[in-house]
Amino acid sequence: MVRKFVAGAAIAASLVLPASHALAQQPELKIFNWSDYVDPAVLEEFSKETGVKVVYDTFDQMETVDTKLLAGKTGYDLIVVTASFLPRHIPLKLYAEIDRARVPNLQHMWPEITGRLAKYDSGNRFAVNYMWGTTGIGYNVAKVKQRLGDAPVDSWSIVFDPAKLSKLADCGVHVLDATEEMFPAALRYLGLDPDSKKEADLTKASQLLQKIRPHIRKFHSSEYITALANGDICLAVGYSGDILQARKRAKEANAGVEIAYAIPKEGALMWFDSLVIPADAANKEAALKFIDFVNRPEVAAKNSNFIQYASGNLAAQKHLDPAVLNDPGIYPKPDVIARLYTITPYDERTQRTVNRLWTRVKTGR
Amino acid sequence: MNQRTARKAARRSVGSVRRTCAPWAEPGARPLVEFCSVTKAYGEVTAVDRLSLSIYPKEFFALLGPSGCGKTTLMRMLAGFEAPTSGDILLDGVDVTAMPPHRRPTNMMFQSYALFPHMSVWDNIAFGLKQEGMARPDIKARVEEMLALVRLEALARRRPDQLSGGQRQRVALARSLAKRPKVLLLDEPLGALDRKLREATQFELMDLQADLGLTFLMVTHDQDEAMTMADRIAVMDHGRIVQVAPPEEIYEQPANRYVAEFVGDVTVAEGTVTGIAGDIVRIEAAHFGTLEIDEEEGRARMDAPALVALRPEKLNIGHDEPPQTVNKVRGEIWDIAYLGDFTMMQVKVGGDDGPLVKAAIANRSRRMERPFAWDDIVWLWWDVEAGVLIDP
Amino acid sequence: MSAPPVAGERGRLRAGRVLVLALPYLWLAAFFLAPFAIVARMSLSDSARALPPYAPHWEGLSRLGAFLSALDFENYALLASDTLYLDAYLSSVRLAAFATLLALAVGFPLAYAMARAPRQWQPALLVAVILPFWTSFLIRIYAWIGILRPQGFLDAVAQGLGLTDAPLGIMNTDAAVLIGMVYSYLPFMVLPVYAALERIDRSLLEAAADLGSPPWKSFWTITVPLAAPGIVAGCLLVFIPAIGEFVIPDLLGGPDTLMIGKVLWTEFFSNRDWPLSSAVAVVLLAVLLLPVIVFQRALKAREGSR
Repeated sequence: MVRKFVAGAAIAASLVLPASHALAQQPELKIFNWSDYVDPAVLEEFSKETGVKVVYDTFDQMETVDTKLLAGKTGYDLIVVTASFLPRHIPLKLYAEIDRARVPNLQHMWPEITGRLAKYDSGNRFAVNYMWGTTGIGYNVAKVKQRLGDAPVDSWSIVFDPAKLSKLADCGVHVLDATEEMFPAALRYLGLDPDSKKEADLTKASQLLQKIRPHIRKFHSSEYITALANGDICLAVGYSGDILQARKRAKEANAGVEIAYAIPKEGALMWFDSLVIPADAANKEAALKFIDFVNRPEVAAKNSNFIQYASGNLAAQKHLDPAVLNDPGIYPKPDVIARLYTITPYDERTQRTVNRLWTRVKTGR
Repeated sequence: MNQRTARKAARRSVGSVRRTCAPWAEPGARPLVEFCSVTKAYGEVTAVDRLSLSIYPKEFFALLGPSGCGKTTLMRMLAGFEAPTSGDILLDGVDVTAMPPHRRPTNMMFQSYALFPHMSVWDNIAFGLKQEGMARPDIKARVEEMLALVRLEALARRRPDQLSGGQRQRVALARSLAKRPKVLLLDEPLGALDRKLREATQFELMDLQADLGLTFLMVTHDQDEAMTMADRIAVMDHGRIVQVAPPEEIYEQPANRYVAEFVGDVTVAEGTVTGIAGDIVRIEAAHFGTLEIDEEEGRARMDAPALVALRPEKLNIGHDEPPQTVNKVRGEIWDIAYLGDFTMMQVKVGGDDGPLVKAAIANRSRRMERPFAWDDIVWLWWDVEAGVLIDP
Repeated sequence: MSAPPVAGERGRLRAGRVLVLALPYLWLAAFFLAPFAIVARMSLSDSARALPPYAPHWEGLSRLGAFLSALDFENYALLASDTLYLDAYLSSVRLAAFATLLALAVGFPLAYAMARAPRQWQPALLVAVILPFWTSFLIRIYAWIGILRPQGFLDAVAQGLGLTDAPLGIMNTDAAVLIGMVYSYLPFMVLPVYAALERIDRSLLEAAADLGSPPWKSFWTITVPLAAPGIVAGCLLVFIPAIGEFVIPDLLGGPDTLMIGKVLWTEFFSNRDWPLSSAVAVVLLAVLLLPVIVFQRALKAREGSR
């Protein structure tokens, strides 16, 4: 008992003293990122090379970040933000402009991605793409086959055709609880402009969503990962990265659950997670250094290999694990990429309308 | 015990309603309550041990003893809150041993009163009547009668927490009397009252019992209370009854040393019987010399060890040696306690290792000058009727 | 007795006493009234692209007139006009009331058994009731997902016993939300009810029995009325958090589960409509105050009758 206590005290002392010492001298970089979204080795290497201590915090809901930013000070130097939030945040002067001269590795960025990101951040002034992906369909291969036969899952019709979806209702369907994901997909299926802001179009989309609602078990933006992996549901509309994570978990669990991800042939929404520097960041210098560091082609590849997401860095592809590079769920083929679309944010009024429509869809009232 | 005697005399003089009541002695009397070899054991501990007892109609019966003697357990078994481990309990000839409490024709006044705090005085008293399914007008009449009986008419709408201790006691009494129980059980009924109120209430209870013609069974550890109120007292010790008798007998003819010492003050002289002549028994006792007492023939055996109980008020005290040859002892005053109505002296007899003898003198006059002082050498003497032979 | 304090000392004493008395009020003002005022004022604002995301903002006393004139009840009008919100409030009240009744039905016997248990066991039983609080609330709700999900623990048990072949399908329904809420808030019901029951003098029940009342009747005439303050406190402690609950409906509920807490969450986080969500919160507070005021009135009436 006594020895344990002494040992504990010694550890406590060794933790406290050097830390408080270091605080005074060592520069710090405070990063706020999605959970499980970086290779820890990358952070270590950065610290070793630059002498900057990394304080790494994670979130699992973009709303958390959004609220922190809108409320004022965040206390972070570098944040990973989903592109759809940028048009709302940039006019509020929440971010510091990226000094491109200080980030030479931006030359390796993928023009295809940078170009699409510019729709949210005109001139790519504030955001640097970190990872990107799509919003598509994740499904339980065996259960879908059992109910719908051998036809390939390659169209939004499996979701938006009530005749098809109803066959899956008994084994469980989840869709994202996000207007900016579900309305464009519905519009696309209807052959309308996914980026339409017309109330008539949006109403049509919501009517379509109303029709499939009885067959949906849950509207939720993260629970489907576990539910898919456990075999509790057989279909989910979700983010590529999340569904691939569910696929990996199912494989690791080795319980006979096989998950697949499909990008519908009608096209799917692209999403971009981007690095931004808050305007009030205490250590912008270190933030720029970090952006440059993670965009070294080898480092970007290492990171992508680890988390299994597509990098916005083109040069990284040379160093990628072929299993990652050749996975169409991660890196879609060029013809598929061509059919992917992006949307612009709704204005306040439209947003309210869409929210009301969406709430009615969800509650069935 | 001068106090008690004086009080009783005083009551008689103002016209007591109390009758001379001795139903247990009447030929052919049928007991109302019978405990037949009742035992109550809690694991290893035996609270009541093969106890048999009969209580007769219209008796005011007291169970007296120190805490833990089993008196409360015995009463709770009669009320039905505890089941005997063995033995039977008969109430009015009916075996009630297995009857749940709510069916028994007994009512109890709890030591804590156990008044329902969320009900008014009126509702508390009416509670038992409602359980009987009595008609509303009858309930009203009975409650009003009870309120009048305990003089609480004005407080009928109050709740228990708005009453004084004495008022609460009366509500509890009224509630337990409302159903006209065959036996009213009183658990330390006056324990929570202050001394003055207690004395007044004692007589009220006695009057009530006599007026209503009910049978009362009271549990108390207070000998004054038992002596004042009860027609008969059962003195209990370790789950057994040591003596059942009217108060006078308990006091004057204690069955053994335990009773003698529990009820009132006493000095016990230990000795050996050295002579029996008719109803006079002669005893040689260490420190006391020769004692002679008037006893029933056959109580004593020659050469047997004997205990003689001497009550303080029966001893005389004086500076001069009395003329009698026996029943006297010389000693030194160790302590004097002035108690108002009388003075209690403790006299050391037979040298430093001898016993302390208690002697009381009535303070008949108000003169300040006291006849005795600490360290006085005095004589104590008494009549042949003063001492009583007791069992060990 | 010490000498009476001189005038200065007495003044200081009085000031000290005032301070002690004022402290709870200061606390209330700082930690309840002030935040509430902020929320109330926000509810009168309009959603805007600004930092923070509403207008108008306080720009000093000189612009007071402009500030005040920009405030309006538009958000409340919207709450009243859109049946979604009324539905959500009603459905929350219904679910919370149901959860409260169930918690009472489960919690009362539990509290009763605890209060009647041997005295030396009671501390251990109390700890057992509080024990779940030592684990994260979220983890406990996730555990329920494991139990209720299709082919989960409950299905396995039901099928193992041969009760049913098909999945019970409780997960993602209001039933799952009720189970989650009753489970989570049960200690809030058990503790006050236990405290009230434990205080009841057992001799009162003996007295009732002695006066001819059978045990089941004494339960209703003695035990329940005397435990009433604890029962009411327990019901409020369950009802109030349950009505605004959003984590449990989010995790265990399905698309049919409509609760005002979730609506508020969506308005605030997903729709970034801080003013509207503030209005939702203000109305929710009013809805919650109602039972409390009713309870207070009832208590006062009871005191008054004494």
